[in-house]
Amino acid sequence: KRRRVRSEPRDIEDRLESLITRVGEKSTSSLESNLEGLAGVLEADLPSYRSKILRILSDCVTRMPEKTTIYTTLVGLLNARNYNFGGEFVELLVKNFKEYLKNCQFDEARSTLRFLADLVNCNVISIGSLMNLIESMVEVTQEDSIPQVRSDWFVYAVLSCLPWVGRELYEKKDIELDGLMRKIETYVSKRQKVHHSALRVWQSDIPHPQEEYLDCLWAQIVKLQGDKWIERHIIRPYLAFDGVLCEALQHNIPQLTIPPHHDECTYPFPFVVFRFFDYTDCPEGPILPGAHSIERFLIEEHLHRIIDQNYEDRKACAGALLSFPGKHKLPIEYMITEVIFSQLFTLPVPKYLEIFHGSLILELCRVQPSTMPQALAQAVEMLYDRLDTMNVDCIDRFASWFAYHLNNFQFRWSWDDWKPAANLDPLHPKTKFMQNALQKCLRLSYQQRLVELLPEELSHVIPKLPTPYYKYSSEGAGSLPGTMVAHQLASAIKEKCTPEEALLLIKDLPNPLHDDDVEPTHNPLKIEVFVQTLLNLASKSFSHCFAAIAKFHYVFRMLASSEEAQICILRSMFELWKNHQQMMCVFIDKLLKTQILECSAVANWVFSKEMAPEFTKGYVWEILHLTIKKMIRHVEKMQTELSEARVRLQKAEEDDEDSGDDSDKDIPTEEMIERKEERYDTAQSDLKNLFLIIFQRFIMILTEHIAQCEAEGKNFKNFWFKWTTGRLLSVFFQHHEQVFKYIGTLESLLFTSDIDQNILSIFQQFCALKS
Amino acid sequence: SRAEQEKLLKLSSTLYIGNLSFYTTEEQIYELFSRCGDVKRVVMGLDRFKKNPMWFFVLYYSRKDAENAMRYVNGTRLDDRIIRTDWDAGFIEGRQFGRG
Repeated sequence: KRRRVRSEPRDIEDRLESLITRVGEKSTSSLESNLEGLAGVLEADLPSYRSKILRILSDCVTRMPEKTTIYTTLVGLLNARNYNFGGEFVELLVKNFKEYLKNCQFDEARSTLRFLADLVNCNVISIGSLMNLIESMVEVTQEDSIPQVRSDWFVYAVLSCLPWVGRELYEKKDIELDGLMRKIETYVSKRQKVHHSALRVWQSDIPHPQEEYLDCLWAQIVKLQGDKWIERHIIRPYLAFDGVLCEALQHNIPQLTIPPHHDECTYPFPFVVFRFFDYTDCPEGPILPGAHSIERFLIEEHLHRIIDQNYEDRKACAGALLSFPGKHKLPIEYMITEVIFSQLFTLPVPKYLEIFHGSLILELCRVQPSTMPQALAQAVEMLYDRLDTMNVDCIDRFASWFAYHLNNFQFRWSWDDWKPAANLDPLHPKTKFMQNALQKCLRLSYQQRLVELLPEELSHVIPKLPTPYYKYSSEGAGSLPGTMVAHQLASAIKEKCTPEEALLLIKDLPNPLHDDDVEPTHNPLKIEVFVQTLLNLASKSFSHCFAAIAKFHYVFRMLASSEEAQICILRSMFELWKNHQQMMCVFIDKLLKTQILECSAVANWVFSKEMAPEFTKGYVWEILHLTIKKMIRHVEKMQTELSEARVRLQKAEEDDEDSGDDSDKDIPTEEMIERKEERYDTAQSDLKNLFLIIFQRFIMILTEHIAQCEAEGKNFKNFWFKWTTGRLLSVFFQHHEQVFKYIGTLESLLFTSDIDQNILSIFQQFCALKS
Repeated sequence: SRAEQEKLLKLSSTLYIGNLSFYTTEEQIYELFSRCGDVKRVVMGLDRFKKNPMWFFVLYYSRKDAENAMRYVNGTRLDDRIIRTDWDAGFIEGRQFGRG
């Protein structure tokens, strides 16, 4: 079924694109002969498809940086055949590079810089002009009043192109290279690293230091320099074409002014290099490159790159990772495992959904059952052993992933190994981790299964049966005020009474708050009887619960008339559903969505005295974060509605001028827009207030804790303090985009110099992500 | 019509979840699928005769979240069974008694 070869320009363009983008993939002939053949084809097509070829090649620079050396070789071969084309391509790259810098597309800029550097190796670009370019980039460190994240990026970009071109610079520009290295050394030694502590996955450097990213790369580059700039990972196809390439003439990169800093520019956050394996952890065989070897950096970067390209397809991703070039010379399963966990534990937030990493790991175990599960089991043991100093958010992610993973393996685990945790403090991270992980396991299975699987010694971490506790039918209920009415209400609800009838039934319940001088805003007894009776009847499933909320929405609204009343609803729910954490989460979520509860009420409830025993449990923070997210989404919705209305109005006005026709009834009036503006403003200030409440409560509760411990002569840095400061940091981190908008307010109102340095430093570390 | 159906599927943020155990609950579905995004509703499908749960519909607020569930949940396990997710044109009350 051979298709007739057609020479429509469109077809040829598509064919060129496919030829170029696919070079370097698996093939029956060698990479060199493929490159040579492709160069021949492109040369012949240059007269008619010049601009197309330029565009495709320049796309490859940023889209496939892992194939940099393949494309630089191709460009080198083309330049040797057609000098003008080489010049045009360099010109285009430099133009793109400048655009990327101007538009703050820093990943693209870094790939382009690396490409330019590697073009020196292919004799396309003169070494002197590249040196000028990277020197001008390092000059950014001398700029006045810029955020450090800016100069950091420029230095990082320069350092990370040195593995490609270092050797060439060393041979031909050694004096300049030395000068450059000295400048960078001075810079690296003087920079601020306030952010470092907050970004670490572990506070301890034992067994492996959690290095700051620029420090780590600097150490790797210094080691590379010590090795005379020889690395052993990059495949360099141009070496085979030395004879052809050395004949070619070179181009100069024109002098380039680095676009200056502007306030809208967001630089990449600093990060910490995640390490938890060293060569002693891997089984016999190929050796894991050391922490400061440049190969470790290059391989890790390459693995991250593979994930970035395939994260939408876990099967393709696993396949690509496991067919990593040169994998036989590496303990590849260990390196892959480390890279996946480094992504899962990225702070402030992971780049991808946590379930992506979970499903990728499942896939890797499926495809490589002989080696992958072993590396993974070792990783879990190590993570477990190092929980003591682990970041609180990372502990949550670990627990949540672990439950998900076990769910796919019948919850089988060497649980007996964790028996010693039975004697630990109830707030110890290991105890907490197990409780948290098992709560998540419970949500994915059922309690009896966990009871059967776990050793008896660990029974204290197994979740309780998630059943409701309905006090109005428990022993001694007769003496409770409200029991009679509760029973009447229960039968009325069963007989499908209306919301009005339900309200009528609880109308006469006495108000326990009534002795106060002022008229109480709500009646706690009414709320308790109604909420607990209704939820108890609807306890069969989430659907039953949601249906009950929908049917009795009106009653909820009537009862939830003030913040105290809303907190009372939450308290009543808690009393009933205390052992069903998932139910509490979805119930609150529903009450927020149906606007029965306000976000601020949930926040104040979380920090209330009665919740103190629950304060270190994971679900409480799940609730707080879902509440914040709900508020953020609401603001975004108001904003979209407003801008859409504005666009519609503007469009209508323009149409009006054109035709004089105003038949469209969807046109918003000025008044409607004003109302939308008001609603947007209100939403914004509600969100800001929510953050203010939360941060203020954190400061209060931590300050109280410190004062109390000091009064009792105890060290305040106990487990509770670790959890609570960790939770504070995670509010900053999980909602960093929003919180950054209020930095000024937070600094002047809450995080002032008179609060305890241990609390203030968390705020300062957060601010350092952008300074 | 078929074209209309296809168009609906492309816009849908509803998934059909099949190959489940008879004992799998709505709560388990919630937990797993919430990992991909905010779940609007879970509807339990009932076998027309035995009234045993056999499949679910999961409705997301956004298409993007449903796409993630297709990517990351489809083919993984729940209650020791490999679950299957599929696009659904949208849930209409009454459909829990039979699909199609």
